[in-house]
Amino acid sequence: MNTMQSSAQAATAARRGIVIEGRDVGKSFGGGSVIALEGASFSVKAGSFVSLVGPSGCGKSTLLRLIAGLIDRTSGQLTVHGRDVKGPHSDVGMMFQRATLLEWRTAIENVLLPVELQRTVTAADRARATELLAMVGLKDFAFSFPSQLSGGMQQRVALARLLQTGADILLLDEPFGALDEFTRERLNIELMRIVGEVGATTLFVTHNILEAIFLADEVMVMTPRPGRLARMVHVPFARPRTPELTLTPEFNALVAEVRDILGTH
Amino acid sequence: MHEPRDFLFWPARVLPHLALLVALLGLWEWAVASGSVDTIMVPRPSAIMAAIFELYVTKGSIYQHFFITLAEAVFGFLIGAGVAIALAVSSSLSENFERYVSPYAVVLNVTPGIALTPIIIAWFGYGMGSKIALAAVICFFPIFVNTLTGLRQTDPDREELFRSFGASRRQVFTQLRVPAALPLMFAGLKIGLTTALIGAVVAEFAQATAGVGVLMSRFSFALDMASSLATLLSMTLIGLLLFYTMEFLDDRVVFWRRDARMSAVSRARARAWASGAEK
Amino acid sequence: MADVVTQMAATGGKSLRQRQNATHIGIFLTLILLWELGALMGWLDPLFFPAPSAILTSFWRIYFAQGNIWYHLYVSLGLVFAGFTAGSILGIGLGAVVGMNGLVRRFLQPYVIVLEATPRIAVAPLLIAALGFGATSKIAIIMLVCFFAPFINTLSGVINVDRDRMELMRSLGASKLQVLRKLVLPEAVPVIMAGERLALTSALSGVLVAEFIQRDQGIGTLILTYTRNLNMASAFACILTLTLIGFLIFKGMEKLDHHIAYWKNEAGLRRVGAKRAQAWATAQRGQSNA
Ligand SMILES: Nc1ncnc2c1ncn2[C@@H]1O[C@H](COP(=O)(O)OP(=O)(O)OP(=O)(O)O)[C@@H](O)[C@H]1O
Ligand SMILES: [Mg+2]
Repeated sequence: MNTMQSSAQAATAARRGIVIEGRDVGKSFGGGSVIALEGASFSVKAGSFVSLVGPSGCGKSTLLRLIAGLIDRTSGQLTVHGRDVKGPHSDVGMMFQRATLLEWRTAIENVLLPVELQRTVTAADRARATELLAMVGLKDFAFSFPSQLSGGMQQRVALARLLQTGADILLLDEPFGALDEFTRERLNIELMRIVGEVGATTLFVTHNILEAIFLADEVMVMTPRPGRLARMVHVPFARPRTPELTLTPEFNALVAEVRDILGTH
Repeated sequence: MHEPRDFLFWPARVLPHLALLVALLGLWEWAVASGSVDTIMVPRPSAIMAAIFELYVTKGSIYQHFFITLAEAVFGFLIGAGVAIALAVSSSLSENFERYVSPYAVVLNVTPGIALTPIIIAWFGYGMGSKIALAAVICFFPIFVNTLTGLRQTDPDREELFRSFGASRRQVFTQLRVPAALPLMFAGLKIGLTTALIGAVVAEFAQATAGVGVLMSRFSFALDMASSLATLLSMTLIGLLLFYTMEFLDDRVVFWRRDARMSAVSRARARAWASGAEK
Repeated sequence: MADVVTQMAATGGKSLRQRQNATHIGIFLTLILLWELGALMGWLDPLFFPAPSAILTSFWRIYFAQGNIWYHLYVSLGLVFAGFTAGSILGIGLGAVVGMNGLVRRFLQPYVIVLEATPRIAVAPLLIAALGFGATSKIAIIMLVCFFAPFINTLSGVINVDRDRMELMRSLGASKLQVLRKLVLPEAVPVIMAGERLALTSALSGVLVAEFIQRDQGIGTLILTYTRNLNMASAFACILTLTLIGFLIFKGMEKLDHHIAYWKNEAGLRRVGAKRAQAWATAQRGQSNA
């Protein structure tokens, strides 16, 4: 009966082009003493770019980890590609604030890690890894070790590794949060281009409202303690986008709207 | 480290451990009783209990040895730690001192201190002196090296900050370097204390008239395994005693490394501040 | 500190370095000369401080004239090697297993604390009594004193594995074995190596204690015998030999550490990076030829 229901769900979700769907998702830690997330209902369309903004501790990372199946929810329903999420699954790839590279592997070996964990590495995988490194602009650093790369370059390697998984859902948790403004801006634009090229669905956590709107089709605004989803804000601007967009009044009106939602809660 | 209310739940935490211990001992007792294990090599738990009872209650013969070894380890530790800290502080204050003295400390370090046992006994005799000396020699190095490393690992940013406030060299040392060195120093002191106990016991093995080490070799060579295991447990007891004393001091002094202690100290300081403000 | 010295030497501080070396040698020679003089004048009891010249003579005697130390060194170092290998394999293996399994870890914790507080070398007489005199009990003693440091270090290395990386591995669907092989063990390598260093030092102490008790052969027995016969100069020569061995062990382990944990030092990164690029290029060429 359960399988029937879920296959029916899968069918409707696919029809609507929705890849991630949550209903009343909640998560508490320590046997209920800390409520990290409460009653989050949302859906994410295939191929869309969704930003998550909200104050520190409102449960953004928790939501991503729930979607990745790294932790179990304590209430509600959560499906990815129409399938119930229980345990880690290969539909999603993650990227963290820290590059989390293995420092005993060269850049390209780090990129190949996801493949290596699943099967033997083939020549095609190697070619793909080289291609991805070129895509993130690190063609000449394939055999450098993480400690020989700058923070921004390390994050690019992590991005290439993420793409090597072949997952069509990318979960990015403040991926460039630790970098300087210039690098971050450049990497954001690159990220937009690459994600567009690959056609992946992306969830992107950030603290920066401008960045959130600039990158996204949809902004999820979250409020703190206990973490709740306040609103989804649609971003209508056409792509490709350029930094000049941030200077337009329409853009700034949207920024004000998001600020307002965050402020009134 | 635990929250105060954790205390209420301690039976829940301890009971499974106790159950496992009892089960293991039961299994052991049964294995020996059923004859599948040699009784001379491996005594029964009940025989060990009986030996403990005899050593501690009926005969009470262990106390003298227990306290002698404890005293040897503690005195050796105090001497070794005193010299080590003095040398480490001097080294951290004077570049020349460090340059010309620390190579000898390094040479001492790579020599297994235990090798000096016969010579130290020849020098200091069969009594407590030689045990204290060996304990002091072998506990010296971990303390020296940890203290020196701690004192030297300064954060240049913080030091600059201090100097921008017009702090003197002495203030930088006492207010910045020493507190920053304390965690590592205590780690060294903990290792040193255990090492000092080893020194005392080994020296007793080699030549002595009293101490748990002597007791241990006597029982072992009389093939009284139950009593030697009982003695071993007494050494563990000494070790735990020393370890937890050090742990306690560490907890008090380096309070900012422990959450529970930190909140206690912060409450105490807030109270002191408040009462000071009233006056 | 060595870096600072080489750096100073490189930046034209050569004369400064030479001056410092001269001071080092000067201090050393002065100490030795004073010591010799003290012995010569009878200020120092030769029983306490045999003269440097006497120690040198003893060196000559035990290594060449009489040559009796070689056999004892061979015996002791063989035991150290056997006990150390067995003990560290056991320690690392058990540490990894216990570290990866939360339940085992929880139940083992009190025993680990007790074992940590026990002067483990104190089991020596017991083991000798149980296993008899000879090599077996000596190896058992060395194994026992070696076992602990690699065990504890592997355990803590495994427990303290980076949380984000762990999540990454899990999100990539890695199996428990893969997590162990590809993340946990490599990340723990530097800590494990530190444990191995301690273990090797303990092994040296272990063999000495075993030999002090058994008094049959080996460098420990030799030191004991010389001291008993009040031949302090020879006892000192033996101890200086151990200093040398200790130093070689220290340096050797440092080299090994640099080699195994290559990503922790600049030279290692360059060396391995170049090698891997080469291997990759060779594979690529093979591919295009085929
Ligand atoms: N493993 C855990 N155990 C207990 N509490 C947790 C755990 N992980 C997260 N929390 C709590 O859940 C809440 C939400 O955490 P989360 O990391 O999701 O916040 P966040 O929105 O990502 O914050 P930030 O922007 O600072 O990264 C916080 O109050 C946090 O303390
Ligand atoms: Mg977060």
